[in-house]
Order: sequence, then structure tokens, then C-alpha cells
Amino acid sequence: MNVNVTPPQAYANMSDKELAREEMTIARKYLNRFSWFMVFWCFANLACWFALWPLTIMGILPLWAAFPIATLNVILCYLPSHDAQHSNYAKNGSLRWFNELIGYISTIPLVLPFKVARITHMEHHTHTNDPELDPDYGVKADNWWQAIITGIKRRQPGQPNSYGATLQRLGDDPVVKRAGLEGLAQTLSFWGIISALAWSGYALEAALIWWLPRYIGSIYISLMLSWAPHFPNPERGRYRNTRHFESPLGNILVMGMEHHIVHHLHPGIPLTWNAAAYREMKPVLDARGCRSERLHG
Amino acid sequence: MMRTVMTTLGPWGPVFFGVGFLAPLLSTLMVEAGITPPLGLSTIQAGLIIGFIVGLQAKLRGRWL
Repeated sequence: MNVNVTPPQAYANMSDKELAREEMTIARKYLNRFSWFMVFWCFANLACWFALWPLTIMGILPLWAAFPIATLNVILCYLPSHDAQHSNYAKNGSLRWFNELIGYISTIPLVLPFKVARITHMEHHTHTNDPELDPDYGVKADNWWQAIITGIKRRQPGQPNSYGATLQRLGDDPVVKRAGLEGLAQTLSFWGIISALAWSGYALEAALIWWLPRYIGSIYISLMLSWAPHFPNPERGRYRNTRHFESPLGNILVMGMEHHIVHHLHPGIPLTWNAAAYREMKPVLDARGCRSERLHG
Repeated sequence: MMRTVMTTLGPWGPVFFGVGFLAPLLSTLMVEAGITPPLGLSTIQAGLIIGFIVGLQAKLRGRWL
């Protein structure tokens, strides 16, 4: 791999065009790579979550132990799908089905319909931090604990569904309609399955392996993937709408989101290489006036 | 058609949730905790009553708590 030898101070004097060229030179090293790690992540996490069901029902694993594992599974299940939303496993060709497969199956524990996730996520990228058009703008809060409270409030029955509103805004496109139907089918299936489990004598298993972990996990994902990289102080513009942040929890516990700015600049770089790309790109990003802050509040 | 069904039934989601999931969950919790419902009710009858009431108040107030 090429090593960037330009001294950091040199970037301050570069024109926008020169900075863009430097940025793209670095980005190209990481773009369109195939991440086996993300594939392993998807299948290992899913297998672990599925295994919890027979293990608890047969009494091999106690429910109190299965609950935190299931919550972790839900938290971890989003990111392999996120790379699939950006077609990072295969943009086209013979492996395209594999990209879509990961997108669909990875988020089974979270019950996040893949096509809905992809459409709304693309809207988030196009309109990041736009109060009207960014489907994730609702996570806005001044600090992390208010973001958690906001997350709970957003999931109350009377609250508007920003993803549903986005699909409605996008109108009669057949792809959007299909996504809506798939989303409806998956959501109704989830409620049907956990109700059937509960009425069959597995209410505690349904509650502690799926229902409650999904609730907690979705709030944690919103906190780390939406709030932390974009808020507080949501700004607009390519180099200001997402920040790099240092987390006291470390990059792993925030699911690699410290370097989320690289993802927003170059979504085709798989999560696995966001940190490496950020380190190499940092002088360019500093020259662009990008935000690098501490996660606090 | 689908939209009509969803806009009609969708707002009643919390009630369906209360009866469909909370009721058997509450019943199981009562059994596990050794709680006997009052008025000679079985645990599932008590679960259904509580689940329905909790779901209905969530539907009417727009929040669970």
C-alpha cells in the first residue's frame, strides 16, 4: 500500500481542487474492497442469535444469560446490512444476490426491512441534517442521555414514523411501494411470531430474546449511528454534516462510528477500512475544516 | 385496499399488542412470581384484562407510560 508522504502542513495551502484530488487518491485505495470480515460478522451474529432459541427452550442456557447476548446480537446486526444498503459486497454481477441476501437476513433480529432501510438511508445521505428531509433528524438531542429519552419517545404509539413519512413523500415509485409492502409484511410477521410464541408458552423467551433486545438495541443503534456522528449541533454541508469523534467507550463499543465522516464522504468504503482511511485522510479533512470532537454530554 | 386496512387497524396496534403479546407475557410472569389474581380470575384472564387496558390507554394517550 502506498504511504502518504505529503507533510501535514502542506495541506493547509492547497486549493479545494488539490484537496479533492488528494482525498480521492486516498479513498480509491479502500473503495470497492470486499470485506470478508463483514460477511463473517453477519453470519456469526445471526447464528449466535438463532442458537439462543433452542438453547434457552431446552434449558441449556438460562434466560438471564441469553438476554444480554440477544441485545448484543441486535445491536451488532445492523452494520453488515448497512454495507449491503450501499452495495459494498457487490454492486452488480454474479454476486449481487449475495449483497441483497446479507441486507435481508442480517437485520432479522432488529426487524428492519432491508428495502425500507436502503431507501431511507439514501435519503439520510442525500439530506443529512435537513430537518424536513433527513429521516434520522428525529434523533436530534443536546446530549447522550437526552438522545436516549428522545429514542424512547419516538417509539411511542402516537409518534410519527419518519421512515413511513419518507416513503410517502417519495410517492408512487414501484420500488418504494414494494419496499413499503415488504416492510409491512416483515413487521406484521414479527408481531405474529412473538405473539404465537407467547401464547405457546414461550412468552419469556420471546420477550427476552427478541422483543426487549430489539427495543434496547434500536435505541442504542440510533444513539451511536445517528446521534453521535451528527449531533449535537447538526450542521449541513459535505464536510460539516458528520463529525469524527473520540469516544470514551472506544471505537469498538460505538461500532466503528468514530470515523463515520469517512463513510459519509465515501460510502463505498466498507466499515472495516473506515478507520484506516480516516487516519490517512485526516490532514485533508483538517484542511477542509471537518469536525473532530470528543463524545461528551 | 391495503392502505385502508392499515389506516383503520394501524392505530389499534397497541391494543393488539396488549392482547396478543402482553397478556400471555403477564400471565407467565404471574405464574413465575406465584401471584394469584383476585376475584377468582385465572392468570391468563387477568393478563388479558390488564393487557387490553394497558393497550387501550396507550392507543388513546399516544404513549405507553
